[in-house]
Amino acid sequence: MALDKEIYAAFAGVVGEENICDDPALMPAYFFTDFAAVVLPKSTAEVQAVVRLCNQFRLQFRPICTGWTGFFRPGTVLLDLRRMDQIVEINEKNMYAVVEPYVTSAQLQAELFKRGLCTNLKGAGAQCSAMLRGHGHLDQSMGADDRNHLAVEWVTPDGELVRLGSLGSVGEWFSGDGPGPSLRSLISSVVPPSCTPGVFTKVAMKLYHWPGPTRYSLTGYSPRYLLAEKPPNMMARYYSFPTLDQMWQAEIKIGEAEIALELMGFNVAMVAANITTSNEEDEAMFKRLSQEVQGPGFFVIIAGNSPDDFAYKKKVLETIIAENEGMSLKSVEDPEIEGILLTQCTRISASVRETFRPGGNFKSIPIMGQRDLTIRWAVGAGQAKLPLIEQGLIADDGGGFFGWGVEHGHLGKTEIFCKFSPLNPEARKAVDAWAEQQSNRALEEKYFALTMGPPEQIDSKVGPALSNYHLWWYKVLATLDPNEVIPDKGVSKLHP
Amino acid sequence: MALEEYAGDMSMCCRCSACKFVPLQQVKGFKHANVCPSISRYNFHFYSGGGRLNLGYAGLKNGFQYVPRYLDVLYNCQLCGACDVSCKYGMDMEVLRPIQEMRIKAVEDGHPHPALETVVSRMRATGSMVPVAGRKRGDWAEGLGLRNALEEKVEILYHVGCLTSFDPERQKVARATARVLDRAGVSFGVLGEAETCCGGRAYEMGHQADFLAQAAKSKELVEKTGVKTLVTSCATCYQVYKVLYDRFGLKDELEVLHITQLLERLLGEGRLKPSRGQEITVTYHDPCHLGRLGEPWIHWQGKKIPGDRFVFDPPKPYRRGTHGVYEPPRRVLAALPGVRLVEMDRIKEYAWCGGSCGGVIDSNPEFAEWTAAERLAEATCTGAEAIVTASPWSEKLFAQVLAKNGGDLAVYDIVELVDQAV
Repeated sequence: MALDKEIYAAFAGVVGEENICDDPALMPAYFFTDFAAVVLPKSTAEVQAVVRLCNQFRLQFRPICTGWTGFFRPGTVLLDLRRMDQIVEINEKNMYAVVEPYVTSAQLQAELFKRGLCTNLKGAGAQCSAMLRGHGHLDQSMGADDRNHLAVEWVTPDGELVRLGSLGSVGEWFSGDGPGPSLRSLISSVVPPSCTPGVFTKVAMKLYHWPGPTRYSLTGYSPRYLLAEKPPNMMARYYSFPTLDQMWQAEIKIGEAEIALELMGFNVAMVAANITTSNEEDEAMFKRLSQEVQGPGFFVIIAGNSPDDFAYKKKVLETIIAENEGMSLKSVEDPEIEGILLTQCTRISASVRETFRPGGNFKSIPIMGQRDLTIRWAVGAGQAKLPLIEQGLIADDGGGFFGWGVEHGHLGKTEIFCKFSPLNPEARKAVDAWAEQQSNRALEEKYFALTMGPPEQIDSKVGPALSNYHLWWYKVLATLDPNEVIPDKGVSKLHP
Repeated sequence: MALEEYAGDMSMCCRCSACKFVPLQQVKGFKHANVCPSISRYNFHFYSGGGRLNLGYAGLKNGFQYVPRYLDVLYNCQLCGACDVSCKYGMDMEVLRPIQEMRIKAVEDGHPHPALETVVSRMRATGSMVPVAGRKRGDWAEGLGLRNALEEKVEILYHVGCLTSFDPERQKVARATARVLDRAGVSFGVLGEAETCCGGRAYEMGHQADFLAQAAKSKELVEKTGVKTLVTSCATCYQVYKVLYDRFGLKDELEVLHITQLLERLLGEGRLKPSRGQEITVTYHDPCHLGRLGEPWIHWQGKKIPGDRFVFDPPKPYRRGTHGVYEPPRRVLAALPGVRLVEMDRIKEYAWCGGSCGGVIDSNPEFAEWTAAERLAEATCTGAEAIVTASPWSEKLFAQVLAKNGGDLAVYDIVELVDQAV
């Protein structure tokens, strides 16, 4: 549905004729969604003006930037933030970087590597926005989720500009909680169902020390880049354990020892996906690795700041692994494969191999919370995948799940997904049913409550189980969004 | 294959946006992370590889709407294949092939680009993709005493190509090529006035039937010479004879070489001994047609295996840009005394397009020049004094943009440097 001419002219007046499109013939390009229009603001002021027009004309809007996108209600106005693509500042002394939405994680990380710094790239991939909230391979040592957001420049749903944290009082980016207004709990946590209402136009991301090279030296051609020379202060290994409990204990100990740059609870299907360049190779490698492991496992990268530091971390790691009867996967000790994983997992460059490559789609249940609970839940969710695998409805990953300790283990992240073909309605139906059953089980058996569910599920089950937080959230949202321009009460859907 | 046969591939696009950037491992900084000229210039998602696939998939389901904006999207793409390489770093799916088929379908449905139709009409009438302007195709060889491959038996046919033959500024490359081959003692000949267009650019413009008709003429001519090897100094012609003809069953046993491959061979055999040359720092631009698009065609037929995975029986070998012609030009440059190569950020299979491909130089010169200007800016960042390429189309466009915008870079075809050195 195209916009009314008057409305179109108003938007075009803000962003310019060349930066708006409402031609229905082009909207199918936007992945499952027929937007009313797509507008491309260039600045915070343009975002504000566009948002105010959405309020004036009672049009619902959603912003997106680089990376994956979700499914939106037809008729929504899309604010594509592609033209807001600048790194505003890299502050080495205070270890933060201020970015606009369309700076990719890959770009920011490459610049940071040159300065001996890094940021936690999200698992969705390095092509995604550097300001994206979420989790990634480096959660172990580089924080995660909203905890890496410092000051934020935010255009609220009614178009007001709010500068959060230190930015709101002293015009600097170093803190998200003050001095100045802190609305962190409202705009960045998982308490809003999953999606910030309004638009982040600039965010200061927290930076961390990077012990690796200023740039990986690669050889070969796509899709198989090899590390020309492994940095002498870095090592990557995959360890499997006889039991889940031993794996979990080793994970805790490694966290307590604070020795790992990365601890990623990859299942072997994910390892296989990362190191192979096609589905056929992937299948064969998965079978091979499944024979090599003794049970559940995780992937670890250690990196030393000096030869002694590296030796110390290696010794501690080997001790913990031995105490828990862990076994290093020989395939990953192969220097070529170790190099691929080292670069792939620190640069987050192959997420689609793990998720979309096999069938074209995947459905995930991601959980932030205590690992001991979520691991136990994930075992059951994994077992529930097995019948779907046997029926050929989802890709065979052995019923795997994955997860890791965040910030050396005081927080945790667990996730499980099914990979399937979007062309197979039976598969989609089965996967949807699996997701619903496992989410319900999590709630009923008191493992966790999934706040990223559909609004009706939040209203009927999740909210009441969590002190009716959703009612409070809806009141907050009504204040922030008097004209109801935020669709679906802020819930983001990844699938139609 | 018709567009319908890529429905499965198009349905695989997950809108991850990888098609917009160089393979993520190769992002070297804030600058030069983009890889697709079209989305970089026009910003809307439908100008990206993934957006195009989503449009194609929707078109198959609901019918194509040839509205002006759709046609603008369709023709403002160099078909350079960069999106295809970046996507296939992670995925098993075709990207460039369905995008090309969308253009072919538009032409078949009666929606060619007017400027491109003019070019193709010219090809039909004159056998040339570029204006003939009263000149004869073989004029560039006047006084060189070259053998005519239709009249004398030679081992190698030097196919010059339309632009190099007719553009007075590019004819120097043809002459330099002939001189170098002569100095190396290569038994070669040309077709002179009889040479005709390979037809490949018509294919990229969406005019598949015209391409096939022209290709048949060209093939017949080459067969008449009886040569087993064809060499060309034009990257586009190389890709057409090497890849496209093979795909359509027109190549047979003909060995197709780009001049850089032959030069590498001649240098290795000691038949060319570079001994002089200027002290110069250069950067090398990988032409799309020689690089990622120059990867040999893989003949495959199979069916998707029903089930959860996008896999085929027999397994489908994807062309991912891995086996393009990347090293020969670099080895040739390395063999030239005084020449120092410095690389740009985007090279080889993830090189930024020079701008002229896909008919864009004819359908939207401003976009072609914008794309070339981006490449020249990247080249300037290396500190090089010159940009060297192996495509007359890139060389022409680079020179044109430098003349218009200014800049200190010199532009060379690689054969010119070899000619100076031997």
